[in-house]
Amino acid sequence: MNAKTSQKIKKGGLLFIFLLLIYLSMITCEVKINILITGILNGLGFILKMFPPNINVISKMVYPALETIIIALLSTIFGVILSFFFALCGASNIVPSWLKATSRFLMAVERALPEIIFLLLLVSALGIGPFPGVVALSIGCVGMLGRLFADAMEEVNAKTMEAVASVGASKLQIVQYVVIPEILPSLIANSLFRLEMNIRLSVLLGAVGAGGIGYEINYYFGLLEYKKATTAFLMVLLLVFLTERLSDYLRKRIIKEGKLK
Amino acid sequence: MDTTINYKLPSKKLKHKATFMVLIAFVSVGLSIYLDFDPSLFFTEGHHIINLLGDMLPPNLEILWKKTNIYTAILETMGMAFLGSVFGGILAIIIGFLAAKNTTPAPIVRTFSKILLSFQRVTPSLVIILVFMIAVGIGPFAGMLTLVFTTVGMFGKLFSDTIEEIEPEPIEATYATGATKLQVIKYCIVPQVSPSFIANLFFSFDINLRAAIALGIFGGGGIGFELHLAMKMLRYKDALALMLFTIVLIVFFEKISDFLRNRILEKQSLK
Amino acid sequence: MIEVNNITKSLPNGRQILKGISFKANKGDFIGILGPSGAGKTLTMRCLNGLTKPSSGQILIDVNGKHQDISNCNKKMMRQLRQKIGVVFQGFNLVKRLSVLENVMIGKLGQINTFRSLLYGFTDSEANAAIEALEKVKIPHLANRKAGSLSGGEMQRVAIARAIFQEPVILLADEPIANLDPSNAKKIMKQLRPLAEQMPIIGVFHQPEIASKYCTRIIAIKDGMVYYDGDSNISESLLAEIYGDELQEIEQANVQLNLSPV
Repeated sequence: MNAKTSQKIKKGGLLFIFLLLIYLSMITCEVKINILITGILNGLGFILKMFPPNINVISKMVYPALETIIIALLSTIFGVILSFFFALCGASNIVPSWLKATSRFLMAVERALPEIIFLLLLVSALGIGPFPGVVALSIGCVGMLGRLFADAMEEVNAKTMEAVASVGASKLQIVQYVVIPEILPSLIANSLFRLEMNIRLSVLLGAVGAGGIGYEINYYFGLLEYKKATTAFLMVLLLVFLTERLSDYLRKRIIKEGKLK
Repeated sequence: MDTTINYKLPSKKLKHKATFMVLIAFVSVGLSIYLDFDPSLFFTEGHHIINLLGDMLPPNLEILWKKTNIYTAILETMGMAFLGSVFGGILAIIIGFLAAKNTTPAPIVRTFSKILLSFQRVTPSLVIILVFMIAVGIGPFAGMLTLVFTTVGMFGKLFSDTIEEIEPEPIEATYATGATKLQVIKYCIVPQVSPSFIANLFFSFDINLRAAIALGIFGGGGIGFELHLAMKMLRYKDALALMLFTIVLIVFFEKISDFLRNRILEKQSLK
Repeated sequence: MIEVNNITKSLPNGRQILKGISFKANKGDFIGILGPSGAGKTLTMRCLNGLTKPSSGQILIDVNGKHQDISNCNKKMMRQLRQKIGVVFQGFNLVKRLSVLENVMIGKLGQINTFRSLLYGFTDSEANAAIEALEKVKIPHLANRKAGSLSGGEMQRVAIARAIFQEPVILLADEPIANLDPSNAKKIMKQLRPLAEQMPIIGVFHQPEIASKYCTRIIAIKDGMVYYDGDSNISESLLAEIYGDELQEIEQANVQLNLSPV
């Protein structure tokens, strides 16, 4: 058997396993084509029911929409601050290795748990409302932002840090005068990205009890008031679209400035 | 010292920095008040959280192997994530090619695909799963369809950007030999973009696994659904066991997909 | 004043790199350390400002009349001593995203306490002193620029201004001109030389011609020991002894750089 045929067999085997996995997954997920076809018809009929949106409820949506934005904004601010400290403790060039390992481990655990699970826990302890929402989303930032910040900190030029240490600067001063300025562009860009994510997530979390516009959507769906739900949904679309534009614009400006004058 | 130069003295910088900090602090405090967000709740209501933790410990790990519906739940979650990445990935690649400037068959198709992609990207997954649940019923099928939808939104744009960024010279050279557009795509573009596509699809599996758990809570089935059920029925020890299992599962697949992704990208950079 | 007493340094694998180096430097000295690669020049420099701890020996630094041993002191003492040692590096090592002025002010970071630097940082009068330091190296017009946008020669001048602003009792220069083109290298050497009137300067150089032209004293290190310590006018034959086979390479490099032999 020459190398070419053995490679062909290997490729064929991989393809076979891949298709088998798809087939098995389709069985466990109860994928049925006939359901999908009737479902599409159902869905289309249903989408027709959602239109035209009921404009009258728009005044009732303003406060929840604002609440969603504020939850996202606050949790991004708190989350960035929290992530920064976790990142400091997770950067190998700043802290001893045992602290780094602990912080990195905590961040990995946090990354593994979806925000919504934190919310469920907090809701069962504290009841529903924006408070558990903000706390859950702030903690949710740590896994992703903490790791990104820590990685950025580890990439700071070791020689520059050594040079500043050689004038007798303390660890905190090195962080203040070398680490922070050098990672600032990536810090801001990633935080803006997280703000976008937090808006989406706060819509989702709202449905489980964090309040805001997600709660309204879930509520009207539950009441079968689809036309009203559509109004809420369109507001979310607008919201997400606007934050995406804004953060895109800001990110581009920062990258431009980051390229040094 | 030369007075003609307008030096940025520390006092001026400090003023800017202080203004910025105070502004952030004011905004945070103002918004917190507006939202009734009261950090002192941590101290006054903290005992609830501690009580909850007390109720959760020790985790009832036995349910992981004693209850058969947990097996199916685990399989459902993984199946949802896998199919979401496969079908979503295939659709994202197709739409990515249709939306890229250099591979689109017609400008109108490109505009249409781009609108479709941005619609998929901005639509919150909450709305998508609610609609799919009405269309095909509660269960993992609805969850899977939601993941397909969000995967296309997330990666379709990325793919079309990747296709647009490849070097134009070899493509022009191949056109010059009289090749058709499909031939150019097959022999010029696909080999260049496939490593990054595959790496991103592994990444999408990571994301989808997490999302599958979150969607389960809304009725998408799988571990998320079981977790929600356990918490609703106040079986907190079961809930903690499921959470621990979730962490292990996700970290495990994150490591695998990190490894595979790095290998693929390394192979590409070696060429 | 700095006094190095018989320092040695062994690697963890037992190989001895420094085998007992001693010298003394006073105000007015501009010492150029020469030697083939691997002789231990850079390691000696690292020992001098405490970045590496020697295996044995003393490095005494005269701070306000007291002789302190930097090779054997606690963390707090180390910080205090480092405040008094200015260093200029081969790679400039500026904070690229801070302005030139801020980079110069970093020189005094060890002299203000951490709490103050977190609270408000430097004062305007300190900034004016930093601008004066920039005037000494003739680049006050660059004060507002970001350090990362400068050319190599400009960056090294900022690094020198940082060292001047620090007001050290001794200035170390670790291959300060290795990354610069010949005309910039000469300018940097011209700016360093007068500083020796205020504090001893110890520099490591790769180009013996430049070192013997600008330095007041040459110390040659070979195989971890001081091979020569004396006048900067060193003969061709002595150079050949110091560098051995490497001399040819250096001369070739100098021809490429258009350096006239001394």
